[in-house]
Amino acid sequence: MTFGWRLGALAIAFAALFGVLTLRMWSIQITSASEYEEAAESNLIKFVDTPAPRGQIRDINGNLLADNRNVRRAVIEGALVTRDGEAQLVRNLSAFSGLPEAEVKALVDEARDRGDRIEVVGELTDDQVVFLSEHPEDFVGVRIVDTPVRVYVEGELAPDVIGYIGRPDADDLEKPGIKPTDVLGKAGVERQYDGVIRGESGRIKYRINARGEILEQLGEQLPSPGGTVFLTIDSDVQAILNSSLAQGLQLARELHREGGCVPSDDDPGCPVRAVGVVIDPNDGSLIGMSSVPGFDPNIFVEGVSDEEWQRLNQQAVFNNFAIQGVYAPASTFKSVAYIAALEETIFPQEARTDADPYVCDGLLEFRFRDGSPQLYRDWLESGHGEVDLHGGLQASCDLYFWEIALKVWNGRLTDYDESLLQEWARLFGFDKATGIDLPFERSGLIPDRDWFETAQRETPLLVRDTPWSGGDVMNIVIGQGSVLATPLQLANAYASMVNGGTVWQPRVVDRVETGDGAILENTPLAVSQVGLGDRTVALLRRDLQQVVNGGNGTARTAFANFGEKVEQIGGKTGTGEVIKGFIGEDGTVIQDVDNALFVGVAPINNPQYVIAVVIERGGSGGRVAAPTAARVLQFLLNGIEGVTDVFAGEEAD
Amino acid sequence: MALTTPRTEPVTILQRERSLRPDLFLILPYLALAALGIVMVYTASAPRNELLDLDPAATVRRHVIFVVIGFAVFIASSLIGGRTLRSFSIPFYLASVIALGLVLTPLGRELKGAQRWIQIGPLQLQPSEFAKIAVILALAVLLANAGSNLQWHHIGRSVLLVGLPAILIFRQPDLGTMLVFFFVSVVMLFVGGTTLRQLSFIALAAVVIAVALFQVGAIKEYQIERVTSFLDGGGGDDADYNQLQSEIAIGSGGFFGKGLFGGTQTNLSFVPEQSTDFIFTAVGEQLGFVGGSIVLGLYAMIVWRLLIAAGNGRERFSQMVAIGVAALLVFHVFVNVGMTLRLIPVTGLPLPFLSAGGTFFIAMSLGLGLAHSVWMRRSPVRDE
Repeated sequence: MTFGWRLGALAIAFAALFGVLTLRMWSIQITSASEYEEAAESNLIKFVDTPAPRGQIRDINGNLLADNRNVRRAVIEGALVTRDGEAQLVRNLSAFSGLPEAEVKALVDEARDRGDRIEVVGELTDDQVVFLSEHPEDFVGVRIVDTPVRVYVEGELAPDVIGYIGRPDADDLEKPGIKPTDVLGKAGVERQYDGVIRGESGRIKYRINARGEILEQLGEQLPSPGGTVFLTIDSDVQAILNSSLAQGLQLARELHREGGCVPSDDDPGCPVRAVGVVIDPNDGSLIGMSSVPGFDPNIFVEGVSDEEWQRLNQQAVFNNFAIQGVYAPASTFKSVAYIAALEETIFPQEARTDADPYVCDGLLEFRFRDGSPQLYRDWLESGHGEVDLHGGLQASCDLYFWEIALKVWNGRLTDYDESLLQEWARLFGFDKATGIDLPFERSGLIPDRDWFETAQRETPLLVRDTPWSGGDVMNIVIGQGSVLATPLQLANAYASMVNGGTVWQPRVVDRVETGDGAILENTPLAVSQVGLGDRTVALLRRDLQQVVNGGNGTARTAFANFGEKVEQIGGKTGTGEVIKGFIGEDGTVIQDVDNALFVGVAPINNPQYVIAVVIERGGSGGRVAAPTAARVLQFLLNGIEGVTDVFAGEEAD
Repeated sequence: MALTTPRTEPVTILQRERSLRPDLFLILPYLALAALGIVMVYTASAPRNELLDLDPAATVRRHVIFVVIGFAVFIASSLIGGRTLRSFSIPFYLASVIALGLVLTPLGRELKGAQRWIQIGPLQLQPSEFAKIAVILALAVLLANAGSNLQWHHIGRSVLLVGLPAILIFRQPDLGTMLVFFFVSVVMLFVGGTTLRQLSFIALAAVVIAVALFQVGAIKEYQIERVTSFLDGGGGDDADYNQLQSEIAIGSGGFFGKGLFGGTQTNLSFVPEQSTDFIFTAVGEQLGFVGGSIVLGLYAMIVWRLLIAAGNGRERFSQMVAIGVAALLVFHVFVNVGMTLRLIPVTGLPLPFLSAGGTFFIAMSLGLGLAHSVWMRRSPVRDE
């Protein structure tokens, strides 16, 4: 190759290189120019979110329960942190906030990676605000923001209902539009109505330069605050419910052990908590709902020490036991069989007359299919003497109700559906969640043959291997065995029994006033109507009234000092076995451990309130649960002047 | 090649030597690029200086001083005859190697992790820029002495000649400049008459050396990262961010550009290092495809004139100088513009005559002047 050829080849190679550059330039400046224009534009524009204040929560009378206060915080605005300025920012912020540099750097990196805001100083003092505003160049990317912060005005008043807030968890982040720095309702109404309470964050549109310095504000979309939620809860009733439950729990603890006790594994008989719920049987509105010990939801905003957190967690205070606690309803469940017996005409003796009374003698012999006898003992060993259905309910005679169960069982092939009693229970809302507008509600359980056989198949180790039998139905009829219900289910079932058969879906929110003034009514919803004869309802009301007022009534002593209008009260006690007492090998006596229950109705002839109280491991229903409920009923019927301290009733089922 | 007016009367060689004829097709593009450079450096640096509370014109004022010095160097070097230049080539080469060695001593100044500068009074000089010219001259001497029939020992000597300064530069570290040496010397060897076998040997040797350097860890981590980050399509490190912003700047310029001071990327300082390595983004964003093409066209014109000069060189040494300078120019333009267009990784080579950066402007003016002198003293025989 001559020199000339080589020079020519070189010229061609050089020309090719220039050609490549020109083609590339063509491709980005002409073919894809619009994409790059957008990219250049978005370099200049940054959006910064401004959080919306959460809507208020008020009670039925408009009393404020949850509000916001304004807090000035220093936040790192991820979108505004610059690459060049980061090191300096970290140093300055560390000095300013007192946090170690590594920690500040982690925050800055996180904010930048997510393009989101992260708080560095939770609440700024006035001096700090002045300092930051005077040295913006030392804190590029840091902004002072007025943040609305949740305040639970009434503290411990109704945390189970109101709930609390927190940062989104992994599941929440799956939902559209949820950022890790958002604040969401985590429990109670805060969670259930988060969509209306949260509001919509606003956005500020900034024009910035490459150093992240704001050149101008291009526009602002103001946040729209969340709507105000009005609860059906009455703060005054709620307060009395709280104090009564606290007194009842304290009373139960003192009865268990002189001077009270602290629940622990070593003392399984020490009463754990008291749960209460008050509803309006005419529309299912929740008037009060509480469990003691409770908590102050403000700790979810302001934080709490580790020890305190541990202590609260151990007591499981963050659960709403009125809808998440499931208990054997025990004798309070007898009303179901009572109604079934009247409506389906199931009586232990077909031709029961005064001349041929049923004698509740305290002991019942039941024979298994193989003929082996099984003895059933009434809670009152001496028995209740001559009783009929009415006396049986008033005195809570187990035997009489066992006879009803056996009647159904023995007639299962001819006269009755084997699950007749369970079906009646389901009509009143047992065995499924009531559908109240609160999260995490449990459904309880009404066992039957299907359930039992499924359980045998799926969890054979936990279930005995003998078949479903009449003994199981006998357990069900007195609300034991595997029957489970939440306190709200119990109250709601009684509400439907005494109101003539209407089953309401309980509700805790009455209405929501949205930011633009619209009012969204949460109208009461009747789920179903149970066909009950007027006579059945009237008899039930009368007998419930006699439980409280009659000579043999199990709640009689608990209401002895009630004061005026005691004759307007009806109710039913219950004592649910948790641990069966026994005599240990070394001779130590282990006492029975029971849950104490009471369901009350007032005024009995025109029911306005139904209250259910459960004192977990509290002992006898007549002794502690009924007196606790009595104090709330005193307030409801006689006002604050009529309220007396909780005192022990007589030990009765 | 009818670029000069045909002469009607015969002239003697002596007369030719006296009347030096400047090549306006080389000088005008050079001046145009320098002038455009001043404008671009100003638009890219003024807003940034303002942000830093400096005089907006501070950067451009400094640049103008170097441009003026560069013009003087261009004129002076254009007037240097081939024979004179040849006699100065080896001493110049040796001086450059010594200067490169000095940079690595405590006399050298470090900036941004690399030690490339020597402070002389108020001036910071970058010996590696002059070393590029020195290597071209020394290699041209070697190739001129060797004649068109290159032997293996010539190849060996060339490798040593280029290798010594290349290693010193590699120590700074400055991978980009080392690649310049490689490209320029390969081009000169090719035109100088190496056989294909010899060229393949050089290529093979280069690969072996590169792998060896990599193995002993002499290549810095950031240099590998830049290449891998580029190949991965970007991992978000600084070099990649720079290139992305650069690409956005040029892309958003579109056909006609956004006009002077109308470029948000340029004037709001999104592109880093913009008045130096990324000056082409200022052209691309503000003047668009039209401006960018004109700039590339001006370079192409200069390269074209250099190749013509080489073709008309009076003797082999001059030809090789012109070839070397052309290769130097082409490599710088391709690597720099390719980098701003995100076509190749960031190497830190500035754009000739446009980038702010004093030593480089002067060194390139020197190279261009020397090549220009080749044209001015071109062979009358070939021309006619």
